[in-house]
Amino acid sequence: MTSPGLPATLWADLQDIQPPLIAGILIGGCLAKLGRVLRSGSVDAGLGPTQLFPLRLRRPLAMLMCAFEMSLGLALLVTVFPVGTRSGAALFAPRAATGTRVAAAAFFLVCVAALAELRGRRPDLGCGCFGDFSTQPTGWRSIARAALLTGAALISIESPALFLPPRNHGALLFLGIVCAELALIAVLSPEVSEALLRLGYTDPCELRQLPAERTLAALRRSRQWRKHAQAITTELPIDMWRELCWRYVVYPCRLDGKNAEVVFAVQLRRRRPMVATAVLPLAPDSPAAASGHPVPAQDWGHQEAMQLSTGVYPQA
Amino acid sequence: MVVQHGDLACCVRCAGPASAERLARRQLLKAAVHPPAPGPLGPGATAGMAAAGAVETAVARTGAAPSGTVSPERDGGGPGRSPAGFPGVLTGTVVDTSPQVITIYGPDGERRIALPPGAVVWKGGTADPTALESGDSVVVRMHPGQRSVADRIWANVGRVTGLIVERDRESMLVDVGRTTRRQAVLIPPHAMGRLQVRFPRLEPGYLVDFIGLRGRGFLEALVPATSQPAYRASEAPAPAAVRGHAAVRIAGSAVWHEATGPVDADGVRYPALDPETACLEQPLAAAGCPRLPYLSVGSLLEVRNECTGSARVLPVSGCAATAQIFCDRCVTCGTSPRGRVADLPMAGFVAMGGDLERGCFNATVSLGSRSPASPPPGSISPGSPSPGSLSPGPAPTGRA
Repeated sequence: MTSPGLPATLWADLQDIQPPLIAGILIGGCLAKLGRVLRSGSVDAGLGPTQLFPLRLRRPLAMLMCAFEMSLGLALLVTVFPVGTRSGAALFAPRAATGTRVAAAAFFLVCVAALAELRGRRPDLGCGCFGDFSTQPTGWRSIARAALLTGAALISIESPALFLPPRNHGALLFLGIVCAELALIAVLSPEVSEALLRLGYTDPCELRQLPAERTLAALRRSRQWRKHAQAITTELPIDMWRELCWRYVVYPCRLDGKNAEVVFAVQLRRRRPMVATAVLPLAPDSPAAASGHPVPAQDWGHQEAMQLSTGVYPQA
Repeated sequence: MVVQHGDLACCVRCAGPASAERLARRQLLKAAVHPPAPGPLGPGATAGMAAAGAVETAVARTGAAPSGTVSPERDGGGPGRSPAGFPGVLTGTVVDTSPQVITIYGPDGERRIALPPGAVVWKGGTADPTALESGDSVVVRMHPGQRSVADRIWANVGRVTGLIVERDRESMLVDVGRTTRRQAVLIPPHAMGRLQVRFPRLEPGYLVDFIGLRGRGFLEALVPATSQPAYRASEAPAPAAVRGHAAVRIAGSAVWHEATGPVDADGVRYPALDPETACLEQPLAAAGCPRLPYLSVGSLLEVRNECTGSARVLPVSGCAATAQIFCDRCVTCGTSPRGRVADLPMAGFVAMGGDLERGCFNATVSLGSRSPASPPPGSISPGSPSPGSLSPGPAPTGRA
């Protein structure tokens, strides 16, 4: 950061930021893998290139990879510190620092080859680089990211000890380089979109589980219910089913002296769900009409089997 | 040999005719409250008594068969026709064979099927037509445009998809769902190596999906239908989050199963039934891959084979108990997105152009709709526009 020319300063800053940045990625990858293992309760739940190996080797390889990433990340961080407190001071363990950075470059180079192999042989598998976030099939972005990190590790081999930049335009330049590199890595990371998606995620209504009791409670508060309540002849609905964001509830009713069914469509929304309704007369030859009134749900022989509603709320 | 045991429960496929009638009525009720925008019901078919009457009148006039049932008269069914109402596919038992002709006894009687020189027979592997024997259970895909000429024949084919619960030296017991009897699977020594390439862990707790020859009470596993997930079924990864609303059409793979009854043979099993009103057929494990919008038994689902372009609207007949725990892809034509989106009966799978020994085809599903005048479940609608979408229905007529 003491180089006079702008290109030289840029290059020096670029070299400086690589060890901590690579360390952060390695440690993050290891922690994400550990999180996946903890959630699933098994090391076997791993993804990525370990799947290319024979079964007996997958578990030890997954553990070895995770441990190696963490060790390498910590080593990169530790060896980047200087001996003294002044800018320009030498690394306290220059040989170890160089060795660690060479190891990181070799590691990412192996990753490039492994991901290319994975893409060719098992295109359906995610790279598993960041645990659950890396479930998308391995693509060129993941491979390019590994290649980029290989290059980053290579250029960092000769980088000096890390200091905070001076508080002038040099700090802004340094920060700009960090942001640019992070942005480039983000562009090459399919995991970013997955992570953003999980942040503040709520299920869309088609996938949301909402108790049937809430649907019935919402229905009974509705104007549509009050409009038809007098005609409804049973306490319990005779049928209830769901399609996407709507739950349909059917009650038998009498209308103008004839048997009919009223169907309510209740939107699966937690607040102020919309309710739509329609009334269908029963054909005179239908079994329900012939018996004088529609058969209530509790009289069906296989109500659980046909997904009727009696099992989901208490009997009156 | 592992001894079979396990309780049998009942789902829609063995519910009585009253249940089928109730399920069939669901589409009428739904159409009354959420009328489809275009169609024979007309734009005036809104909520209310008048609209409901119009629905009833339209149905009475066209005589449409209810969902999940097929009128043989309407479908041109003849002797030996598939009970599922899938034209071009015949299922039955071989009663007589000769080099050129086989006689098959199906639900509608005997039928003679010609075997042209190019006809392909699968019986544990590609075989000569002379390999067919009396008593073989067969699925026949007819030659296009020729009703009595076989194109492909699968004999005694079976499939077991599920969770290993017991393992013996050469056999295993597989849990295929809570309402279905556990399946005994026999692995012949000559097939063990081939199966273990893609299913290396044949231990309790792991998943299997084998295709083979159906024997008396067991399956002789011969072909791996997919690759085994590396984890135990109970350790499946969390399903991916879904952005915004679920997609209009969901792509994945369609697989097949051995139908267990007429209703099952007419419909399609769907992996995501509403847990609040679901029947006993819940998925084996809680994992969902991908997460699918919730539907119910009786909902209409359009299944499209992306490899052949054929599409059918089928009623959901039950829960695909094992489909959601396999997060695999189908590579029949290109690589499908991850996950199984439909589980078809054998006849339906074959009718849509699938080959049983492959185990899957690349498919998309969307919420289907069938107007009262539209064809029954087995009919082909190639290239037809999407009949529905997996998005919320039209605006309702009332508001709380």
